[in-house]
Amino acid sequence: MIKQFFLLLITIILVLFSCTKVQLIPSTSASIIEEIKKYRGKKVVLLNVWALWCVPCVEEFPMIVDLDKEIKDLEVIFISADFEDQIKEVESFLNDKGVGGKSFLKQEKDEPFIQRIHHSWTGSLPFTIVYAKDSGSIVDFWEGKEPESRFRTAINIAINS
Amino acid sequence: MKRMIGLFFFSLTIAAELKIGSPMPKTDHILNDISGKNMTLNDAKGELGTLVIFSCNTCPWVIRWEDRYVSIADRYIPKGIGMIAVNSNASRFQGGDSLEEMIQHANEKNYNFPYAQDPGAKLAYAFGATKTPHIYLFDKSDLLVYRGAIDDNARDASSVDEAFLANAIDQLLAGKPIKKVTSKAIGCSIKFP
Repeated sequence: MIKQFFLLLITIILVLFSCTKVQLIPSTSASIIEEIKKYRGKKVVLLNVWALWCVPCVEEFPMIVDLDKEIKDLEVIFISADFEDQIKEVESFLNDKGVGGKSFLKQEKDEPFIQRIHHSWTGSLPFTIVYAKDSGSIVDFWEGKEPESRFRTAINIAINS
Repeated sequence: MKRMIGLFFFSLTIAAELKIGSPMPKTDHILNDISGKNMTLNDAKGELGTLVIFSCNTCPWVIRWEDRYVSIADRYIPKGIGMIAVNSNASRFQGGDSLEEMIQHANEKNYNFPYAQDPGAKLAYAFGATKTPHIYLFDKSDLLVYRGAIDDNARDASSVDEAFLANAIDQLLAGKPIKKVTSKAIGCSIKFP
């Protein structure tokens, strides 16, 4: 009986652990754009390109995670621009910050990636785009760290457009 | 109407980068060089062109790319290209981008060109520079002829497919039109004051 209880407990722990662990997917800009399109008519998409070594990215990261958890109409797509030899550190950071499900790692040369994600983006990090729920059009985008109020304003407009 | 609201909502926080063909701005802005002397962009100019690199001490992209700063200086300063690395991280001049840290960094990395603080980040504002490294190449008339990245592989100089900057300098020195006048790469945001 005790043995069965512990087996059940271990199984539950393993299931919970596997549910919360992030799946980091190396991706091109084309596959990211396809991912964004999946949510058209369903959710607002907030795309955030970040990197471990980018201090303002790491500073604003928990706030974005909290918005993702709070707003049911919002899907946050994080794209790490870290180098491929940092995959373990990126996964560890994402798990530590409570990012479950899918997350993305840039796997493309910088210039085509930047141009396809947004032609006005200079390549500076962090970079954020908010896409409207229904139309999928871009509501706002910006380079650098911005206050939570800007995120909320853009998301609220995007929910109704 | 809703879409119009969305379009009107854009309030961009992306600086306008200096356009190709623009004259070099703020050439008399006083910079604090690691040599201990003040200098300006006028002092950094070369006979046949000038390379301005917005850089810093701590950015991982700078650290990955900066071996090429030195090789570019070795290759092109003797051919008449002036070169300067400018640190515009004004909000960190009391920390990791202090003059003392810059001197140490330049010594460790064997910098063979001026490396100077940009007080108030006024050069970065004037150039529309947003990140490090961010490259601006001017011709002998001080007109911008190339803007963007060093090449297409930060991590490994031996795996570069397109050496954007070296190609642009070679074409400039040969008196040929520059084929690729802008490029883009990921970089660290400049820490403005």
